[in-house]
Amino acid sequence: VDLTLAAQGLLSGLLFGGVYSLMAVGLSLIFGVMRVVNFAHGDMMVWGMYLAYLLAARAGVDPYLGLVVCAAALFALGLGVQRALVDRIMDAPHEMQILLMLGVALVLENAALVAFGPEPTRVRTPLAATTWYLGPLYVDVARLCTFGMAIALTALLYLFLFRTALGRSIRAAADNPYGALVIGTDVRRVYGVAFGIGAACVGAAGALVSPILPFEPATGLSLSVTSFNIVIIGGMGSLLGAFVGGLLVSVAESLGAVFLAPSLKGLVSFVLLIAILLFRPTGLLGRRPA
Amino acid sequence: MSTPVTRRTFLAAGAATAAAGWAVPLRAQPRAIKIGVIHPVTGPLAEPGQACRLGAQMAADTINAAGGIKSLGGAKLELLLGDTQTKPDVGRAEAERVVNAGAQLLMGSFDSGSTAAMVPVAQQRRVPFLVDIAAADPITANVAKAVRDGQQKVQYVYRNFPTGSTFGRRAVQYFGEVFKEAGVSPKRLVLMYCNDLFGQNSARGFQAAHAAAKPAWDIVEVIPWPEPPQDLSTEVSRAKAARPDIIAPITRPASAQLLLPEIRKQRIEMMGIVGPGSPGLYEAGQLAVLKEDLEYVLTSVPWPNFKSPRTNAVAEDYRKRAAGKTFDTNSGYSYDGMFVIADVLERAASTEADAIVEAMKKTNYTGGLMQYGGPIAFNEIGDNANAIPTMIQILAQKPVAVWPREAALHKFVFPRPRA
Repeated sequence: VDLTLAAQGLLSGLLFGGVYSLMAVGLSLIFGVMRVVNFAHGDMMVWGMYLAYLLAARAGVDPYLGLVVCAAALFALGLGVQRALVDRIMDAPHEMQILLMLGVALVLENAALVAFGPEPTRVRTPLAATTWYLGPLYVDVARLCTFGMAIALTALLYLFLFRTALGRSIRAAADNPYGALVIGTDVRRVYGVAFGIGAACVGAAGALVSPILPFEPATGLSLSVTSFNIVIIGGMGSLLGAFVGGLLVSVAESLGAVFLAPSLKGLVSFVLLIAILLFRPTGLLGRRPA
Repeated sequence: MSTPVTRRTFLAAGAATAAAGWAVPLRAQPRAIKIGVIHPVTGPLAEPGQACRLGAQMAADTINAAGGIKSLGGAKLELLLGDTQTKPDVGRAEAERVVNAGAQLLMGSFDSGSTAAMVPVAQQRRVPFLVDIAAADPITANVAKAVRDGQQKVQYVYRNFPTGSTFGRRAVQYFGEVFKEAGVSPKRLVLMYCNDLFGQNSARGFQAAHAAAKPAWDIVEVIPWPEPPQDLSTEVSRAKAARPDIIAPITRPASAQLLLPEIRKQRIEMMGIVGPGSPGLYEAGQLAVLKEDLEYVLTSVPWPNFKSPRTNAVAEDYRKRAAGKTFDTNSGYSYDGMFVIADVLERAASTEADAIVEAMKKTNYTGGLMQYGGPIAFNEIGDNANAIPTMIQILAQKPVAVWPREAALHKFVFPRPRA
């Protein structure tokens, strides 16, 4: 095996993994707090991508700045979806929650189809065309930026959850909604904010990835599937698990393309998933259900 | 909770349905021939699918405006439109739906997977099916074999499009001719392809043609990727490690948008990118996104014959109706497909399935707008052997026919200039 190629695969996989992590952290937060699986996660990300695209194409805003707007817009969308829809089915059986979220996914996907048309597109920035060389290895500058910002955003989320009063309420509501209610937490508000933050994460991830990954309205489903896969591998509801899982899945896929046939790389992450489900059903960093 | 259907609502609904049913024959006064036209209008292949639909509609409008099918009393063509959503199961369901709605012929469906799924519907329901676009060989070959072996009586499936093996043979031939004309002798070619039915079939056709022709260049590495991909950087690193003179990509629009920038970023020193034939490397939407990454890319694709004034007139009309998009492979073959159907119906002078098939077999149509190697006629497999690709190149951000010589509008630039 060509060592340079393996090192390149490791590097490319790691740098792309930041985005996977940010996607999965958002999904994991929503699940951890509300026990609702957001099947519209990938489609929300696609909307983040299209907003970044609009900002770049119409107003010349670089996606790395535009991500603030994308995150804010998706926060509003997430909050709205939670208040208007998810809040009504919090105690409903899982299959009803799944149907509702699939419905939201269909609406988002087809709204994007109507608004932007079916052709794939991507955001062009000068940064996305730049590469650095470290000896025989190349570093894609756009990926490096994306990776750095994804790490920074995840760290910010951590600080928010562990250092602010609202963050503590979110964790309290996640641990024990009834207990949180008893000590005076406005649990409904917390749920809305948590869903909004989860959506904002994926909106930011969408903006970050828009210069790297071409997208079209139908892209959402595969992103949702990738996010679920990562969250299950990392441990349902564990933010650190989702973060580590994102890097792991991305590196595994990239190395899979080096050592196996590239068309088998999707297999690598799903084999990883099956192995986790068989031998460590709570995921890498997940807690056992009480 | 469900609302029980009472006798009263049932009767009301029945009466409404009956009234609606009566209305149809009253409105449809001139006789119409219903043609199911099914393409991937949404989903990953929506851009080419919509081009196909528009091409078919424009052709039907032209045929109807010129008086419809004269041997059937001026019957108009009525298109029943279907959408495969780029999913084979949906393609089949849509074919069933339009046949149930009265379609007497089928045309479609761009994507080999969906087209293959529509074939059993055509055969079982005895509805002649003209494949306007879809390259995978088995689509017609399997039916021809079943008829030859006596498992089925009649072949209802015909195709006016190059097959995967034709693409492969012509690509290997054109590659050799272009290299020779340019006075270069590349040695190492890396084949990269999307791992779906179309990509696999095309890659196999290309490799088989290469093995048969034994040219001076070798396929040193074959790299498939799962379609649609989320990342192709490692695949391109692998291609780079094989030190290619030529990268030959078989893409889809979305994967081309990942692949070409990645090839540029990794600065692969080579003579050029020469595709054996696939979407994604020349369409207006792709050029808008990929810009200079597509400059000098050569691809062997079915292409309109722009030396014909009629082609140019239709292309101009298409540009107006498609918001500035160019008339190309997809719109062109669907346009020709509809004219072939009109020609077949004219000669059959009947809408009976077996009469249409008899006329289909005797087709000898020369009015096609695409670049053909001869008249449109169907061989024993049901394919038109004269449906051939043309080598095109992106020059000054426009796709131009550059090879073979009789089709070329411009001299090709190869090897590509160094950046």
